[in-house]
Amino acid sequence: MPHQERRFNPYTENGGTILAIAGEDFTVIAGDTRQSEGYNIQTRYAPKVFRLTDKAVLAVNGFAADGNMFVQKVQQRLEWYAHAHNKPMPLKAIARLIQTMLYAKRFFPYYVYNILGGIEEDGSGAVYSFDPVGSYEREACRAAGAAQSLVQPFLDNQIYFKNQLPPPGGAHPRHLPLNDVLSLVIDSFTGATERHIEVGDGLEIYIVLAPNKSSVELERLPGVKRIQGTFDIAGDASPDVTAAAAAVGVTGEKMFVMRRELKKD
Amino acid sequence: MSLSNGAILPATLASGTVKKVIEINKFLLGTMAGGAADCQYWETYLGIQCRLHELRNRERISVAAASKYLSNLVYSYKGMGLSMGTMICGWDKTGPALFYVDSDGTRLKGDLFSVGSGSTFAYGVLDQGYHWDLSDEDAQELGRRSIYAAGHRDAFSGNTINLYHVREAGWEFIGNYDVTKMHYDGPGDVPGAPVGGYGYDVRIKTV
Amino acid sequence: MEVSFALTGKDYVIIAADQNAARSIIKMKGDEDKIKALGSHLLMAYSGEPGDTIQFAEYVERNLRLQQMRNNHPLRPQAAASWVRRSIADSLRSRNSYSVNILLGGYDMAENTPKLYWMDYLGTQSDVPYAAHGYGSYFALSLLDREVQKRLVISFPSFRVKVVDAEGVREVDVDMSV
Repeated sequence: MPHQERRFNPYTENGGTILAIAGEDFTVIAGDTRQSEGYNIQTRYAPKVFRLTDKAVLAVNGFAADGNMFVQKVQQRLEWYAHAHNKPMPLKAIARLIQTMLYAKRFFPYYVYNILGGIEEDGSGAVYSFDPVGSYEREACRAAGAAQSLVQPFLDNQIYFKNQLPPPGGAHPRHLPLNDVLSLVIDSFTGATERHIEVGDGLEIYIVLAPNKSSVELERLPGVKRIQGTFDIAGDASPDVTAAAAAVGVTGEKMFVMRRELKKD
Repeated sequence: MSLSNGAILPATLASGTVKKVIEINKFLLGTMAGGAADCQYWETYLGIQCRLHELRNRERISVAAASKYLSNLVYSYKGMGLSMGTMICGWDKTGPALFYVDSDGTRLKGDLFSVGSGSTFAYGVLDQGYHWDLSDEDAQELGRRSIYAAGHRDAFSGNTINLYHVREAGWEFIGNYDVTKMHYDGPGDVPGAPVGGYGYDVRIKTV
Repeated sequence: MEVSFALTGKDYVIIAADQNAARSIIKMKGDEDKIKALGSHLLMAYSGEPGDTIQFAEYVERNLRLQQMRNNHPLRPQAAASWVRRSIADSLRSRNSYSVNILLGGYDMAENTPKLYWMDYLGTQSDVPYAAHGYGSYFALSLLDREVQKRLVISFPSFRVKVVDAEGVREVDVDMSV
């Protein structure tokens, strides 16, 4: 009889899907809130999208325990950076930090797919996507997780206009307006919820606006809540500080969350 | 990757848009095949070490030394599961240089290599068209045509091609070409390229 | 599918090795030198696990050079062979071993005799008049009998051939078409 090796498996897969789309002067990062294992739903509200700084948001998907651990570690490193340099870490630096943190565990990886979204130092919207061991690139849009195979082709078609002919004499737009992007995100998740059992329950959409981009339109949408901007290193400045900063004409990046219900079956 | 009075370095993009040519510095390029993170991380790391060499020795590192640094590094991880097949390409005091380095520790100097799942297809075109004194344009076209062949026949290669040309003054990015476009319409108005597509026209023509 | 041969004559050793560098089904190079001159009168042909071969050969090369610098005298073939064999044997008993097969040929200037040692990756060593590694070893007995080229299924287009005798080491051209 052949020898059977039994070995402890330290990983599991917790379903769910995340996605991010970069606009010209904004970025949208979204994820559903269902956490499952096999056919069991562990919770209907487990956030997969996290605020890192005033202009950076990280979505994690895969093995939830690793994901939460990883986010905590990234946040800790960002806090140390802020204390050492008295400013938040720029987005592209966060991306490189995430690469080195993931690769540091190359031989016992975080079983997690990361998507980082936010505003670059030049004010442009940016999305960085990672594999579990740290290979990364900047993109305009990316879906990951259980329903990646359903969502990414949809995004390829609607964002990159893949397999679509441009209008006669015209060209495809390079960037879509925020409202269109939000519609696409919501459609992506309702679609994924319909066809994938591991997607559903709730949808959390983070929206990061570049400095000087108006938020009036956005704030009129239902279910949108502003996350207080911060100027101090701890990340919890009082509204007075923010208002004072705004009064002297300093308008930093603005971050919003939009919460939506998704089907629960 | 071919090499003439300059050195041409084309590469396919398998997973969509991932940059398979890593710009180590102004004079060094590395290609990516195998583990994306392994190649990206260690070639970036190599770039750091090359810069440190420059600062310590007031002199650019040779391609031979840079490639050997990488080779020794991956050899120290032998058996642990790193997966890289890479070409380190650049220009130094000795002129153009090209090295193949992989994760089992092999390091070969040469003037013609192709690595990756589609490499056999690329070799087919590369070998029949290569000559040591190819003109710049012809070398670029050969590189483009080789990777097109790989993109066309290999399921894991394709999408777009990035083409670089290495000369004495460092590398130059020549362009990004869509494989499907090349098949039907050709690479466009590019020196060295024929009119029309590489695949479709040729096969449909009845003459 | 590497091949290396070596034989001793009255006052020389001749070593030959194929020049291919292959990765699975692809021949990546056809002019690779797999024979190192380890001193003025010592040659080593190496084959085996990719990566290990070069690393081990360079390790040996530098250590023998160090010995020579320290003692103002190179190791004689027998001593060098012992050192190489011991290196293989020690590595075999470590976590990472070198899987390298070796033919070590030299001319002993003290005794004025050619010497040839056959070694495999397990640390087996023998003092032989002629030897081979790889598929070529199946023809070793008929080495230089012309049968090698007639019968060897894997016929390599070229071999790198080096000789070591009292004059030292040198490379020779061999016409493979004969």
